[in-house]
Amino acid sequence: MNDTYSSTPLIDIVKVSKVYPPNIMALDNISLAIGRGEMVFLTGASGAGKTTLLKMLCFLEYPTKGIIEQDKKDVSKLSATDLQLMRQQIGVAYQDFKLLPKHTVYQNIALAMEVRYENPVKIKKRVLKLLNELGLSDKVHTPTNKLSRGEQQRVCLARACANRPVLLLADEPTGNLDSDSTAKVMTLLNKLHDAGTTLLIATHDEKIYQNTDHRIINIENGKLQELLKVKLDF
Amino acid sequence: MQYISFAIGQLVRNAKHGWTAQIMTLFTVMLSVLIFSFFFLIYTNMQKASSRLGNELRLIVYLEDEVPVNFRAEFQKKITNFEDVEDIVFISQEDAFARLKKQLGNDNDVLEGLDASFLPYSVEIYPNKNLKSLARIKEFSDYLAGLPGATKVQYGQEWIERFGYFISLLRIIVVLSGALLILTTVFMVSYTIRLTLESRQEELEILRFLGATNSYIRGPVIIEGFLLGVFGTLSGLAALLFLYEWIKIHFSGPGFMNLFELSFLPGSTIFIIFTMSLLLCTSGSMLSIRKYLKL
Repeated sequence: MNDTYSSTPLIDIVKVSKVYPPNIMALDNISLAIGRGEMVFLTGASGAGKTTLLKMLCFLEYPTKGIIEQDKKDVSKLSATDLQLMRQQIGVAYQDFKLLPKHTVYQNIALAMEVRYENPVKIKKRVLKLLNELGLSDKVHTPTNKLSRGEQQRVCLARACANRPVLLLADEPTGNLDSDSTAKVMTLLNKLHDAGTTLLIATHDEKIYQNTDHRIINIENGKLQELLKVKLDF
Repeated sequence: MQYISFAIGQLVRNAKHGWTAQIMTLFTVMLSVLIFSFFFLIYTNMQKASSRLGNELRLIVYLEDEVPVNFRAEFQKKITNFEDVEDIVFISQEDAFARLKKQLGNDNDVLEGLDASFLPYSVEIYPNKNLKSLARIKEFSDYLAGLPGATKVQYGQEWIERFGYFISLLRIIVVLSGALLILTTVFMVSYTIRLTLESRQEELEILRFLGATNSYIRGPVIIEGFLLGVFGTLSGLAALLFLYEWIKIHFSGPGFMNLFELSFLPGSTIFIIFTMSLLLCTSGSMLSIRKYLKL
């Protein structure tokens, strides 16, 4: 495991609040720094604000108050081009998967690399490797609407990992999986972490963080309530 | 190269999803090009015919008396004061009689026993080739009618006027069909592509999340519009060529069409129509993609 993190945080959340109309406080004045190469588990009940936080980190939402910096850049001030480039460096495993239902498993995963104009040979190699690691080799040409939820979840994760992103945000990555598939997913995530990817995993699944050395942050009613373990050295 | 291969891949995927709308658009572009270029073909041929007629145009001024030789220069000057002309020919009664005799050919015996005195003196004026405007010809004719000794001016008014009006009408049709071409092409192409984009909204959203650049999203759409333009315009022009050949075969020979040497549109005009249509189709697709490029 990668235990030494860069002294400068990759993500710096400073006094961020998010209010949805009419007056729903999804996040309430939270501050958090995540180091480069760190793996962090974000726990909390449904509706606590985990997904909102992840959405803000992949620019699907913007804070009502406060600043989010990624790589020392204030995300609210990014130009369109910078935003596109930054999104290419972030892998996101969405809770609702966001897969193209009529496209095949291969096409869905390859899309993440195609937008970066990667070499088709490289794309093919990478996609097949990921599918093999996640136990989906026999589903390469299956349209994603023909897959079970567990399979769709793994395809979504494979897409998020395809580019070996700088930052990977996973929203309930094992929510629909059996223990065997969960183990495969965690192996893949750990492998990415070892390769230097920063991971923020929002989960209900205690099993995946029970015996971990990584930081576990609890969020409740939009507030960071508890810092269970601290391993950050900056 | 990589970009083009991705764009073509996207294009093929799009075509699979929305081929019916694309065929309809192709058909519309084809028809618009055909309608416009057909009227333009007729117009250019009529214009050619008109300039041929213009070359043969002459105004005949009938006179009360012959213009004495020593006054002819002054008479000519009066004519050219209004408009430069190519030639002025004074026709005496004898010249006119000889011409009439020649024109009557074998029937010239009807003139036996008659002398030339029943024919009027006249002056034939061959205007410059640039005298094309019907209004100007009329003005010139009115001016000539006011010359001393002039009794009547003739230049085939009715025929020329009708022909002139017909050409003006054709010009209006060409302009209108040109506007139609512009409107239908831009509208149909942008509408079809918008339909395709609407059906791909989920995909575009996901592409955005994955960090797709504007050019990645825009490229295939613009290529789609461009290709619709290429194939639509080529089919329209091919249909025009077919129609032209058909008209030539069925309407050639003695008769109306023989007045005009029907010819196809020159290469430069075809190139302009082709380029314009491509530009319109491409800009139609660019119009439709704009709103989807907002982050």
